[in-house]
Formats: sequence, C-alpha cells, structure tokens
Amino acid sequence: MTLSRRQTLAGLAGTLLLPALTRGAFAQTAAFRIGALNPVTGAGAPYGSGMQKMILAAAEMVNAAGGAGGRTLEISAEDSQTQPQAAVLAAKKLIEVNKVQAILGTWASGVSLAVAPLTNDAGILLMNTSGAPALSVPPANAKGLLYRFQATNDRFGRAFAEVAKKEGFKRPATMAFNNASGIGNTEGFKKAWEAQGGKVVAEVVYEPNQPSYRAELQKVLAAKPDVIVMGSYLADTTIILREWFQTGETTKFIIPAWAANPQLVQALGPEVTEGIIAVDSISNEGSDAFKAYDAAYQKAMGQSGLSNVYAAMTWDMVVVLALAMEAAGPNADVAAIAAKLREVAGPGGKPVSTFAEGKAALKDGKIDYQGASSILDFDQYGDVTPDFSVSFASKGKIERKYVVKL
Amino acid sequence: MSGFLELAISGLMSGLVIGLAALALTLVFGVARFANAATGDFMTCGAYAALAGFTATGSIVLGGLVGLAAGALVGVLSYLLVFRVLEGRPSVSALLASIGVGFVIRAVLGLIYGHGQQVFQLPLVRPWRVYDLRIQPNDLKIGIAALATLAVVFLILHATPMGRRMRAVADDPMLARVSGIAPRKVMLGLWAMGGAVAALAGVLLGIKTVVSPEMGWEMLIPVFAAAVLGGIGHPVGAVVAGVLLGVLQEIATPYVGFTYKLALAFVVLLIVLLVRPKGLFGRVEGVR
Repeated sequence: MTLSRRQTLAGLAGTLLLPALTRGAFAQTAAFRIGALNPVTGAGAPYGSGMQKMILAAAEMVNAAGGAGGRTLEISAEDSQTQPQAAVLAAKKLIEVNKVQAILGTWASGVSLAVAPLTNDAGILLMNTSGAPALSVPPANAKGLLYRFQATNDRFGRAFAEVAKKEGFKRPATMAFNNASGIGNTEGFKKAWEAQGGKVVAEVVYEPNQPSYRAELQKVLAAKPDVIVMGSYLADTTIILREWFQTGETTKFIIPAWAANPQLVQALGPEVTEGIIAVDSISNEGSDAFKAYDAAYQKAMGQSGLSNVYAAMTWDMVVVLALAMEAAGPNADVAAIAAKLREVAGPGGKPVSTFAEGKAALKDGKIDYQGASSILDFDQYGDVTPDFSVSFASKGKIERKYVVKL
Repeated sequence: MSGFLELAISGLMSGLVIGLAALALTLVFGVARFANAATGDFMTCGAYAALAGFTATGSIVLGGLVGLAAGALVGVLSYLLVFRVLEGRPSVSALLASIGVGFVIRAVLGLIYGHGQQVFQLPLVRPWRVYDLRIQPNDLKIGIAALATLAVVFLILHATPMGRRMRAVADDPMLARVSGIAPRKVMLGLWAMGGAVAALAGVLLGIKTVVSPEMGWEMLIPVFAAAVLGGIGHPVGAVVAGVLLGVLQEIATPYVGFTYKLALAFVVLLIVLLVRPKGLFGRVEGVR
C-alpha cells in the first residue's frame, strides 16, 4: 500500500491529536489535579526531591486502589527553588495552566506565605510543611484552606521549653535570627516557659550576614544564663558557637536540629559542640502508615524513610486528601473536600493506616487516618502536633536520647 | 568598661574586613571611574581559593597567599575580558557589567562547591585575659595580617614608580598619558592589586565566619557605605571609614538594638554626607 503525502500527514496529525483529545475528555470527568510544589533546588534541596517523589508515589498508590471519590489523581510537579519569587511563578502556572485544585508540599515559610494569597484567590487547598506561626491565621489562612503537616515554630518553642524543664535549666536566654521562623521559635519558647512560671533572662534578635556576633553574644552572656535557646540556621549558628567557645563561657545550648546537624559538628569539631541539645520534629515512626511510606521511600530514593521527615508529610498529604475526596463523594468540589479533611484524620473513627484500608472502612462509617508523619489531628488552624526528638551532641556525634510529646 | 573595650576590638576586626574591601573598591574607582559591584565576589573567590590552599598545604599563611593570587588573577581577567572592552563608554555600562561579572562568579562557585557552607578548620583557642579584657589570639593575627597588607598597599602607592603612575592616572588620565605613562599597564597593576586586597578581605571574613558563594555579595552594602564615607577614590579614607563603621556598629548596637546595625551605618553615612558631601577624606572634583 502506498500512502499519499496528504494521507500521511492526516494520519500523523490524527495520531498526535488523539491522546490529547482523550486525555482532555478524561480529565474533565475523572481526574483531580494536584500541583506538587517542592524545594527541589535551593536551601530545601536535600528534602525536595524526596518530597516530590512521595507525592507521585502516594498518588500512584491511590490510583492503583481505584482512585478517590470516583476520580484518579493527576500530579503536575514544579520546583519552588526554595525562593518565594520562583515559587509564586510556579504556583501561577500550576493554577492557571494546569488548573490544579490543590498545591502540596511547600517547604520554606517564606514560600508558603507567598503562595497562600494565590491559592486563596483560586479557592484551592495549600498543604505545607512550614513552621511560621503566621500561616495559622488570616490573612494567610483567611479561608481555612491552609493545612500544615509540620509543627509550628510555636510548637517547636513549646518542645524547647519541655526540654529545658526536663534538663533542669533555670535561667534560659534566647537568640533568634530576624525572620518569621527564628523569632517564632524563641517567642514560642518564651510563652511556654513563662506559662510554667519561669523567666527568660535575656533575649536577642540578630541580623544575618554579620562578620561577627560578639556584641549579641556579650549581651546574652551578661545575663548569666545557664542555657541559650536558639531560633537559628546553620551558618549563623556556626559563627555564633565559634565565638561563644572563644569567650571561654560554658553555657549550654538548645538548638533546632536543622541548625544543630552533622555539618555543624563537622565545622566546629567535637569539643565545641559537646553537650549541645538538638530538637527536631519526627515522623510517627512506629505506625503502619510509616511502614507503607518507608517502603515507598526506599524504593524511590534508596534510603531509609527516616532520613526525610518532610517526605513523610507529603505522603500523608496525598493520602488524607484522597480519603477526604472519598468521604465527600463523587465529583465533590474543593470546599466539600476541605470540609472532610478533619473528619477523616481527626479522632473518633476507626483507625486506618493506608488509603485502601481507609477507602474500605469509609463504607461502614467514620475513620481516623493515623499518618506516617504524625497522627494528624488538625486543630482549628489546620495545624498538627508531631512528636519531637531530643538529641545530644557527644564526641562529634548527634544521638537521640528521648522523645517529647506535647 | 571591659565589655565596651571588647566590643570595640570586635568592631575593629569587622571594620578591617569592611575597610579592606572598601579599599579594593576605591582603588579601582580611582582609575576606572566606576563602582565595581563584583568586589564582593572577588572576596568570595579569595576565600574559596584560600580554603583550597589551606586544605592542600595545612598552612593558613600559604592558603592566604593562594587566596591573594586568585583574587589578583580574577581582577586581571575581568579587566581583560570585560572592563577593557567597555573603556570609553559611560561608566554606568561598566557598573552594570560588574554586576554581571559578580553574578557569573557566584554562579560558577555555586556550581563547583555547592551552596552549602564551608569552614576553615582552624583550632579554636580560649582567649587571653589581659586584666578583665578577653583578647582572641586569632583576632590579633587577623588584625596583623590586615595591617601588614595595608602597609604594603600604601608602600606600593606612595613609594614605587608604579604607584606614582597609578596616582597620576587617578589624578588626571589625560595629563598622565601626555607625560608618557602607559595607562594599560597601570590598569593591569591596579586590577591585580584591587583583586588581591578584596581577596584578603574575603579570606579574613571566611576565617571569622563561614565560606559560601554569597558571602561577599552580602557584605557589599557596608562596603559601599565605607567607600562613600571615606570619600570615594581615597584609599586612606576607605580604610578609616570601614574601621569607623565597624567599631561604631558594635559599640552602639547594645543600645539601639542588634537588628539596626546596618541602619546605623546608614545614619552615620547620611550625617557625614550632609555635613561633608565629599566624604571624610575626599575632595571636590573639578569638571573634566
């Protein structure tokens, strides 16, 4: 058989168009579109790829179980570059071009705060892993469409206060990096500490990129604290601890684990970092949901799921969202789905650990999804309360000693 | 009182870093007539090169020399590849080009070394106690290195034929040319010196803090402030103004609050410029 040029062209055009047409038609009736907006590059790069892969893996799992509420999940993935400007551009594209109905997995507080007005305007969900207290309340959470899977900085502060009490400190002082996260940590600590009748002896808020933090340290140390609670990042913590050690003082430190990490120990050596207390939120490690996530994470990344607390959070985002879709029924809109989020994850139903299990149990009544990242009981602000690990630096290693539950 | 003195010493150290970088800025400005926004990134280059040299040899002095050489090289290269081509154009094009040069340097360093922090693994030592005063041996060494460099730069400028030519070109390029000075050679010498001085500032900053691709760029605002305050184009002025800003920031911030450090620098700048528009050491320029 010989084909004319015209027939060939028509045939080619036909085959090229066909998938597009069917996909379009399919999407209108049977897909729920989700934007995965994660920090694949920039400061969040160690976590971003894993977070994105877990959104894809969880969506695949939901689709394999027959979809949620009669629909399959369709993921459009973007890189926030851990930069508010880049994230806003990507979010605009996800909302306007991909027509997503939820954006999942924003990481830095600055990014989540910048994207929130866009998702609010579009009336879609924003599920984030940021710490800034400002994300709990209007204007960011004006419509109740923000859900946070990470502990707020405020809760971090409460965990710090628990640790300080448990370790028997009497005269804490605080030092905070001048941004929403740093100040959120130390303010949260102060509130919790003073609620127990304690007193904070000195507070310093410092600017980044200083050649020296000696004036700041001197002010704090002048109050003779027995422990300094930090709201800080790696670089400024490195400089501050080095200068602190060289003053010859022997204060203790409680530091968030994103700053008191192995790089810090490597930079400063075992002598300087001895006895530093690192506090971090942790996944719901013993749970069945964590086992499911851990298996998926090992498969996708070749590493233990423990290495990325944020990936467990994005995994839970997809599962909770899908369960809410299932509970809300076929073709429910975003508002109806959002209304079901607390119901499927909150206390009072049959505990479930996977989507398939939850989907089956929903036929008989209420469920309570216990997540891989935490047990996921959203409060009135859409926030959850994970557990916290308390680790001590000793001989150049940081090791977990105990877990604090709020 | 000892606390106050300690702050002043700490400010002196920060000030020397700022002052050295401002000196590099002002050296180039004196002859090339534009504010080189890549000065901060020359600093960063110096810090990374010094770190590589230090890791390879284990000697901070050798590392520092590698840093100086790298800074001079980057200065000369950016002159040959970019700024020489732009000679004779309005100075704003050179300024914009220098922002681009800085961007390229930062991007390349980020690609090679990543964006994480690196540190000079120098042994940390407890301070010496002089009466009630704590003095860091490291600070002292940093101070000596900075002062030695300053001495060398001023010797070159004021006691060598090359320095005399540099000052002549800075004074009046046309007159220098008719007196038989080859501006190209002077420019090369100057960019090398500017690059090396910036690199030293970067090495000192890197030793005191952490090394990252953005470190120099982020220091640029106080450096510009010091250069303007000192009377732009005036080497002694740049150093004095840098030290002044550093000390003032440190001793004042316990009273005005630490978040206002940079703002304070600008208040000083504003006041000086209102009272003395040409800066501390500058002089009013005639129209050429």
